[in-house]
Amino acid sequence: MNVAELPMILFTVIAQMCVGAFLVLGVVQTAGSLRFSAKAIDQVADPALLAIGPAMIFGLAVSMFHMHDVTHTFNVIRHVGSSWLSREILFGTGFAALGFLFAVVQLLKWGHPRLRQGLAVLTALVGLGLVYSMSMVYYSLVTVPAWHSWFVPLQFFATAIILGSLAIGTALVVTTLVHARQVARGLSAPDADSGRKVSLRERFTTHADPAVRDEVEALLAVSVRGIVITAFVAAAVLLVAIPLYLGGLTAVGGVALQSVEVYAGGLFVARLGLLALGAGLLAVFTYFIAAKPRENLGRLVVVLTTSFVLVFVAEVLGRALFYESMFRVGV
Amino acid sequence: MYGFYFDQTLCNGCKACQIACKDKHDNPIGVNWRRVVEYTGGSWQVDGETARPNVFSYYTSMACNHCEDPICVTVCPTTAMTKREDGTVYVDQSKCVGCRYCEWACPYSAPQFNAQTGHMSKCDLCYDYRQTGQDPACVDACPARALDWGPIEELRAKYGDQNAFEPLPDPSITRPNLVIKPHRDAQPFGHGTGFIANRQEI
Repeated sequence: MNVAELPMILFTVIAQMCVGAFLVLGVVQTAGSLRFSAKAIDQVADPALLAIGPAMIFGLAVSMFHMHDVTHTFNVIRHVGSSWLSREILFGTGFAALGFLFAVVQLLKWGHPRLRQGLAVLTALVGLGLVYSMSMVYYSLVTVPAWHSWFVPLQFFATAIILGSLAIGTALVVTTLVHARQVARGLSAPDADSGRKVSLRERFTTHADPAVRDEVEALLAVSVRGIVITAFVAAAVLLVAIPLYLGGLTAVGGVALQSVEVYAGGLFVARLGLLALGAGLLAVFTYFIAAKPRENLGRLVVVLTTSFVLVFVAEVLGRALFYESMFRVGV
Repeated sequence: MYGFYFDQTLCNGCKACQIACKDKHDNPIGVNWRRVVEYTGGSWQVDGETARPNVFSYYTSMACNHCEDPICVTVCPTTAMTKREDGTVYVDQSKCVGCRYCEWACPYSAPQFNAQTGHMSKCDLCYDYRQTGQDPACVDACPARALDWGPIEELRAKYGDQNAFEPLPDPSITRPNLVIKPHRDAQPFGHGTGFIANRQEI
């Protein structure tokens, strides 16, 4: 495995996962609001928001290891008019900053809901810009045939969608399990209408109200099913695209053939196998057991977490091969 | 716009240019702004019972070509990679962050990472020598006089405008300010049958 590029491998995979997770969470909230109450949605969705921020900051921090003179760090945005690397860094820090701001106002319920929604849309758009500019950093190197390919943006967006969905799916069921335990221990949130000031901790404890609980259950079933379908479809697209990409590289010839050779060993087989297992087989299984989330909650947590971990490893291996396949024309 | 001229018919791969450059700029081990690439190949000609080898080998001395469209300048996030008024490309050490992105991009391996400074480094066509009227170190060091430098228009008027030979990349990518007099066995770009025989040296 390409250890020298580990900072870049982790940064690209984690940042794409964060963008995907933010988008998926946005869809859960927006689509959910058509059928469910704000109370149920916030209870399911808000805690997941807390996980995205640290992951994104970790990703950005790791990417700093690619620089060898951190005292010149602020120069990296000087060439935004020409360099996709400058643009990637601007979008990356922009996404992290907006995401942080949104998480704060959403969790503390500051400002009008419409304002918060507008901020979420802006954050999502900057996130899409991040994944796109990230792919262009590699695509724009016309001297590297394996990177100057349609496959790079497709792969990066696929990673965002697959890992983002499974991360949110895992977060949703884990959160629900934690809530269920709190209810079992007798903890419950006070009714928001009672006029008493609600502490931050209480916001994350569950509603004992059976109506809200039924709603949460229904929302969970719909969300988890939608999430595994999304991951399944995106993984299927990726698994079809990979042979097409390698076929295209073979046709290009020259140094591109050296890149194709990288995609032949055991790591490549492991990458495909783990993706198919995590986003394929386990996703199908999850789809069926998600019909009854309350009865199957423990099983859902185990299966979705396993699926997420397998796919995360698959994407890290895939990204390692991607950096390994860097062969440039010329001398 | 300054550039280099290189005569493949005269070069015997002695690497005096490479060492003169390294010495002049006091570059550490692994940093070689000029390198000599050995391109080799061949086949058998079978004539009845007789098989005759038909082999070739030629050298190309390569530094920075101070391209018209320098991809290193385009991709650099910091603007440290800079084109001077005279067309030569250099690294502004006060800006470079050492991300090595230009190293990925350049098809001539001109920008090289200097671990001692944490910055990129590259051929600046011996800027200081030129200011005092001297030739670049590599040009003067060549015992076969295979290297020359000057305004690219003058070099082209004097030596022609060819530079698309293996193992060099497609010149349309960066439009290098480079003129090459081809070896008799030189293979045109895109029609190479040989390979670079001294990968570990370049």
